[in-house]
Formats: sequence, C-alpha cells, structure tokens
Amino acid sequence: MKIFILALKNLTRHRMRSLFTILGVAAGMFLYTSVQTMQHSLSVATETNAADTTLVVYRENRFCPMTSRLPEHYAPMISKIDGVREVIPIQIAVNNCGASLDVITFRGVPPETLQQYSPDLKVLSGSFKDFTSRSDAALVGEHFAKRRGLSAGDKFEAVGVNVHVAGIITSDSPQDMNVAYVHLPFLQQASKIGLGVVTQFNVKVESSDMLDSVAAAIDETFRSDQQPTNTRPEKAFFAETAKQMIELISFTRWLGLGAVAAVLGLVANAVLLIVRGRVKETAILQTLGFSRGAIGFMVVCEGALLGLIGGLFGVLGSALFFHFKSFTLGNEGLTLALTPSSMVVVTGLLVAVSLGLLASIYPAYKATSRPLVQSLNA
Amino acid sequence: MKNLIEIKDATKSFHKNKETITPLDKLSLDVGRGEFLSLMGPSGSGKTTLLNLIAGIDSPTSGEILINGNDIAKLSRSQLTRWRAQHVGYIFQLYHLVPILSAYENVELPLLLGKWTKAERKAKVMAALDLVKLSDRAQHRPSELSGGQEQRVAIARAIVHDPELLVADEPTGDLDRESADSILRLLGDLAEKHGKTIVMVTHDPKASAAAHRALQLEKGKLVGEGHLLSH
Repeated sequence: MKIFILALKNLTRHRMRSLFTILGVAAGMFLYTSVQTMQHSLSVATETNAADTTLVVYRENRFCPMTSRLPEHYAPMISKIDGVREVIPIQIAVNNCGASLDVITFRGVPPETLQQYSPDLKVLSGSFKDFTSRSDAALVGEHFAKRRGLSAGDKFEAVGVNVHVAGIITSDSPQDMNVAYVHLPFLQQASKIGLGVVTQFNVKVESSDMLDSVAAAIDETFRSDQQPTNTRPEKAFFAETAKQMIELISFTRWLGLGAVAAVLGLVANAVLLIVRGRVKETAILQTLGFSRGAIGFMVVCEGALLGLIGGLFGVLGSALFFHFKSFTLGNEGLTLALTPSSMVVVTGLLVAVSLGLLASIYPAYKATSRPLVQSLNA
Repeated sequence: MKNLIEIKDATKSFHKNKETITPLDKLSLDVGRGEFLSLMGPSGSGKTTLLNLIAGIDSPTSGEILINGNDIAKLSRSQLTRWRAQHVGYIFQLYHLVPILSAYENVELPLLLGKWTKAERKAKVMAALDLVKLSDRAQHRPSELSGGQEQRVAIARAIVHDPELLVADEPTGDLDRESADSILRLLGDLAEKHGKTIVMVTHDPKASAAAHRALQLEKGKLVGEGHLLSH
C-alpha cells in the first residue's frame, strides 16, 4: 500500500506528463469501448430478438420492406395450415432500406393484436387505450422517442406519415425500442401502399420442431400464386437481414484491436520514459533499501494507474456518449440501437488496467535490472 | 574500542576494453564503533569504491567486508538490499532527494520499508528533522530549500531508521564553507552524541579534519593514516 501511494504521488506530482498520457489512453479506450458497444449491441439484437416458435413470411426474392408486398388475405389461408397458432399481418415503413445511423421504422399491426404480437411490451407514459382509440395513434419505442425528443401527446411526421404519439413503450426486445407501432390500416393508407397489402406475416407455430414443416407448407400454398412467399424462422430472418450489419461491425473489431495496440504502446512508451528519466532516483531508492521487487511494483502500479484513470475517462466517456446520443444503426428495416452496457464498461476498465500492467512489465524490468553502482553514476 | 567494520584484503577489479582495472587492491581496514573516519585521496584512488563496498552497494571481487562480524561480501543482491535498509544510512554529495516529495516525505522513505505505523513514522521523521533543525521546513520540496538545507534533509533521511553505520560521499562537496561547517558539526555530533559510525569520503582537508581519523588512499591502497582526534 505504501509503495502504491508512492506510485500515486509520482503520477499526481508530474501532472502534465500524467495528464497527456491519460488523455491518450482515454482516446484509445473511448474508441475501443465504442467498438465494443457496437459489437455488444449487435449480439444483443441478433440473439434476443427472434423467438424460437415464430416464422416470418416475406415476399419471395424481396429483401427490403419497401419492396416486399403481400396480400393481406393470405392471413386466413396461413392460419388454416396445421401447426399454425396465430398469424399477424405487419406493414413496415422505413425511411431508409440501406445502412443508416438514423433509421425510422413504422410497424403497422392490427391494434387489437399488438399485445399478442409483443407480450412483454410496457407503456411507460401515455396509454394503450389512447393508442387503440385513435387511428393515427402511435406507440413509440423508448430509444426512438429519446432520439427524436418525443413524449406522449406529441405529433411527428416521418416517411410521409403523420402520427399522434399515444404512448412511449419499453420492451425486453431491442427491436421494439426503436420502432413506432401504428394501426395497420392507417399505415397502409398513409404510406400509399394501399389497404389489403402488407410487408410480412409473423406466424406463431405450436412448437419449434414444427418450424420447418410449417414454413414449407406456407411456401407451397402460395407457390403458384401471383405473390409467392419465402418463409423463414424469425432467427434465420434476423440473421440474414443483420448479415450486412454484422459484416460492417465485424470490421470495426480491427479498429478495436488498433485502439488496444495504441493504448499499449502509449503506456509502455510513457512508463519507459518515466523509468529512463528516473534512473538515479531509482538507484537512490535501492540504496535506501528498496528491493527490486518494490521498485518494479511501483513502476507497474504507475502503469496500471495510468491505464485505469485513462480507461475510466475513455470508457465512461464512450458510455455517456452512446447514452445521450442514442444512435440507431439500421439495415433493411432491422434496427440496432447502439446502447452502452455495464458489461462493456466493466470489460473496458479491466482491459485498460490490464494494458497498463502489461505495458509496464518491460519498463519495470529495465528499472530494476541495471547494476546499482552504474545507475548511481548515471 | 570494538570494531564495527573489518575489511580484510578487499579487492575490486573489473574489465574495460580488454583491460583489467583494479580500483581497490587488497585493502585491509578496521573502523571502530562510533568512529568518524574520513577517506581522502585523488580522483580514481578508490575512495568511492571502498565506500560502496562498506555500504553494501557493491561487492568485492575478493576479500572480506565484515560489518558487525557479518561478511556482507557473501550476501546476494537482495540480501544486501535488506541489509542496507536496516544497517546503513547513505549521504550523497548532491543530496539526491526525490524532487517531487516534500522534506518530510523524503525522510520518511526508508521507513516505508518497515512495519511502523503512520504515527510511529511521523514521530521518527519529526525527530530526525528536529535533529537537523529543519522541522519547520517539513512540507517544503527540495527546490524550495538551500543546498545546506537539502543536505540536512538527506542526513535526516540517512538516520531516520537509526542505522549504526553512516556513509557519506563528499557530503560537503557542493556546499559553501558555512553550510559545509554546519554539516560537519552535525556529522561530528552524530558520532559523538548518538554513537554512529561514520565513513566519509572527501577531497576537502578541512572536512577531513572534522573526522576522528583520516586515511589517505592512492591507486586502491591505503598510503597514509592519521588520528586527528583522540577518543
């Protein structure tokens, strides 16, 4: 503890040197944590969105909600297929089918089926009654509302659709947090798709082992129809839709590695310079009886502290940045809210301290390996 | 007077550019407990090498360095470090205080290695600073002290853990006459009143005169000896 305090004094009393190193570490860890936040948000979105017993029926050879158009009257035909428990027609309107950082997604569903479709949905403000009673009402996901500064009672317009915010909702499903639920007929008319046309059907089946057989049966039913279908389990649908985002975000892993390497190099360089500038001071301490272990521990403590303090600034800065900026990455109607997570924060801090420790091992060795007499004469 | 230091045939040699250099050559020396000894000689005579061997900073190539009957030449590097922490106080020519630490914190450094409580450390540090008459400067950094004051802080640091042996490498070499005299009086008091054994390297005959005994070194050998004060 006494050696640790001595290390702390070494840092606090060389303020400018420590500050610049900490700023560098903070910048690197900000980048690293931002990349990790993207990776984590993606894994949360792709792992928790899809239910094990839900199929998504899409128009064959269509990949964007703007181009997938299916007749709404398919719903009763699908519900007659063995193993189907429930069919919900959904109209989706998005402002951008490609990759975007500010995706606006409307989901039109029959209002009476919304709670069945998304059972863990909770109204934070406003009311569900208000939603069902007004045809232009929308229940807006918490992240969406925060991003757009919306609250219950507001009106807003996007994708050519004017809605009244009946409530702000939250849900365990990250997708629900980034969309606005509206009445299906209203969206069909407002988006000029026309009544009777939907983007997709979400089909709940009796059990997960029936997913493949029901999907095949649905596609077989409409094979010769004007609008043939492509039915996939919701998990596969998400995985395919998220593929581009996964590829994009996977690339950022290299940025994260680059940030880690930069922090490692920066701390190692800073601690090595500290050690080189203190050759005589270290020799004096050894003359006074400080062991090589104690000197090495002091150097390692300095590296770890630089890592920890820089990490705190960088990691928390990144978490606050994503908390207040509320970015939503989207692709083909699938939205991905980039939200900070406590796990990413804790991991980031551990990485920062570990980098500090790792970076100071060589300088610590250098500080203690030189013969004492030689250091005293330096 | 029983000897604290007994050096028997101590030789220190090393190789430099295929040449063997022997700064200390089969030197034998006894230093009594509570004695204030000065080592004089021209540059390269082996004074500092001898001082470093006595302080356990360096090890001889051959011979024995008995301190209190314990041959420190046989100790490993880590054993020597522990031994120094308990038995030696080192005073440097250029004081070598840690610039970012206050006088108090500099004096406290050797105590950080022991198991003293904070209160015990404080009592010892203040006692040492009192002894060198600098307790009112405890919170000052080295840059805020004069050279003489810095050396006093360095002496306080050397005695704070109560070692029996003090080694001083030109402790007055960088000071004006007045400050140097004051430091020499302090060293004399430490030997006379506190029973410290002091080995001091100096170029200054006046500083040497303050010691009980002065030894002259040349080319790694003792060439002259004189008792300046009797015990």
